[in-house]
Amino acid sequence: MTAELIRGPVVEKAIRDEIVKEVYEIREHTGKRPGFSIILVGDNPVSRTSAADKEKMAEELGYYSVVNNFPATITQEELIAVIGKYNNNKEIHAIRVQLPLPDYLDERRVIEAVDHHKEVDALHPANMGNLILGEEETYIPIAPLACFKLLQFISYDLNGKHAVVVGRSNIMGKPMSVLLLQQHATVTTCHSRTTNLSEICRMADVLVVAIGRPQLVKKDWIKPGAVVIDVGLNRVGDRVLGDVDFEEVSQKAAFITPPGDVGAMTDTMFMLNTLESFKRNL
Amino acid sequence: MAEKLKGKAVADAMKEELTKRVEALKAKGLTPKLGIVRAGGRPDDLYYEKGATKTLGAIGVEVEVFAYPEDVDQATFEKAMTDVANNKEINGILMFSPLPKQLDEPKIRALIPVEKDVDCMTQAGAGKVFSDDVSGFPPCTPTACMDLLKFYNIPLSGKKAVVLGRSMVVGKPVAMLLLRENATVTICHSRTDNLEAVCADADILIAAVGRARMVDEKYVKAGQIVVDVGINEDPDNPGKYCGDVNTAAVEGVVEQISPVPGGVGSVTTIVLCKHTIMGCEAQNA
Repeated sequence: MTAELIRGPVVEKAIRDEIVKEVYEIREHTGKRPGFSIILVGDNPVSRTSAADKEKMAEELGYYSVVNNFPATITQEELIAVIGKYNNNKEIHAIRVQLPLPDYLDERRVIEAVDHHKEVDALHPANMGNLILGEEETYIPIAPLACFKLLQFISYDLNGKHAVVVGRSNIMGKPMSVLLLQQHATVTTCHSRTTNLSEICRMADVLVVAIGRPQLVKKDWIKPGAVVIDVGLNRVGDRVLGDVDFEEVSQKAAFITPPGDVGAMTDTMFMLNTLESFKRNL
Repeated sequence: MAEKLKGKAVADAMKEELTKRVEALKAKGLTPKLGIVRAGGRPDDLYYEKGATKTLGAIGVEVEVFAYPEDVDQATFEKAMTDVANNKEINGILMFSPLPKQLDEPKIRALIPVEKDVDCMTQAGAGKVFSDDVSGFPPCTPTACMDLLKFYNIPLSGKKAVVLGRSMVVGKPVAMLLLRENATVTICHSRTDNLEAVCADADILIAAVGRARMVDEKYVKAGQIVVDVGINEDPDNPGKYCGDVNTAAVEGVVEQISPVPGGVGSVTTIVLCKHTIMGCEAQNA
């Protein structure tokens, strides 16, 4: 059996087309458009590239965007004051403080300074709390959101199914587990300390892997007919490898995402959450 | 026959440790204090309030009750909660839930400052449990489960823990706390396919489903540790309580089991006390 591919770019393209249409229509009626702010501190080339990518995408989708890059001399109070300014700015519906921040800044306090209605990555405790409580007034963090869009694309019914999540980070593994539970799956969360990881993965009807270890998951870890979502994005030399051994596993799973496909959807998911925040304020 | 994981021994050990912490605070002129805010007075809540006042008092923690009539209006109750929130002498707040229907409960819960939210009633408190931010307090019952497991030296790292039940009061937070201790955690519930087999696969089974004696010999295996968090009205003995586990059916199979009553429930009030003391320590650090 060869797995059917769930292609990130295909799903992403469909979502972006929808966004463009919706933003255009809302602007026709109200003259308003979604806007976001990205705040960078220090000189991190990866963060800068990522901000530039989002600015470019903003232009394509019809969003307003503003990027601030502060030197690593800005004080905590100054940074919080900048955030406060964007909290009160009606043109801005999402505020992304690019992490990691330089060590001298208290990341937790900075994130908590963002108005949680504009904190679309769901790192703010109020958003995390609402996520775990199943309240609608929250955002789904971008990586789990991408996974859900992929599962939706194949119309997968999670009710009663056993989902195994490998990885327990606050931005991926844990929110993913909670969301799968809300869809009535039985959920097992595994991590680096799990014993018999392969045996547990073999129980999965849906396997979501986000542990950051290239090609960890092999063919004999997979239950025949499983759906495999690979969130891993590992750069090995000049290749991008997933956490799943794609060549092997695609011979046994029913559905699988190609390596790197989930990670490549995250900017679009950020745009989707920004749009959501914008619509809540119309 | 399974060993009983009794709550009393856990509570006694905690009381001793907490009494010392209160003495250290008192030497600095501080007395930890819990504020209980309520509208009306259900018999269950009054019973809990009486027990908590006695238990916390014995450890040297004060309790002040802010009682309002059941028909209290929103503005009055909001003002009451705000005053307690701003009262520097009060280190922890417990509010009995659900509130009477005329009150907007989410709005009132949001008035509790997260540093005083000793039973995890706020969104931010839940968020902190979820993200392993230890400046927030997990709810008392799941914390009592963890304290019981710790007291009896039950290893968790790398073990398969299965949580039966996905409530916000017990199931989900206890899953997060088990994950923090490096257990591999499965949450299952009424919709789970092959529920019995999933539970029987556990090294540690936490029963928090709220159905009297549901967990019988089909849900367990030899060598297993079972923590029973259920408090249900006993269908066979009106006026009595029983757990989620059918003890008679499983005690010949499993290794260790916490009884109901006399298990997790006996630790919960001590956890409330611990959280109030921690609040006092953190707020005066």
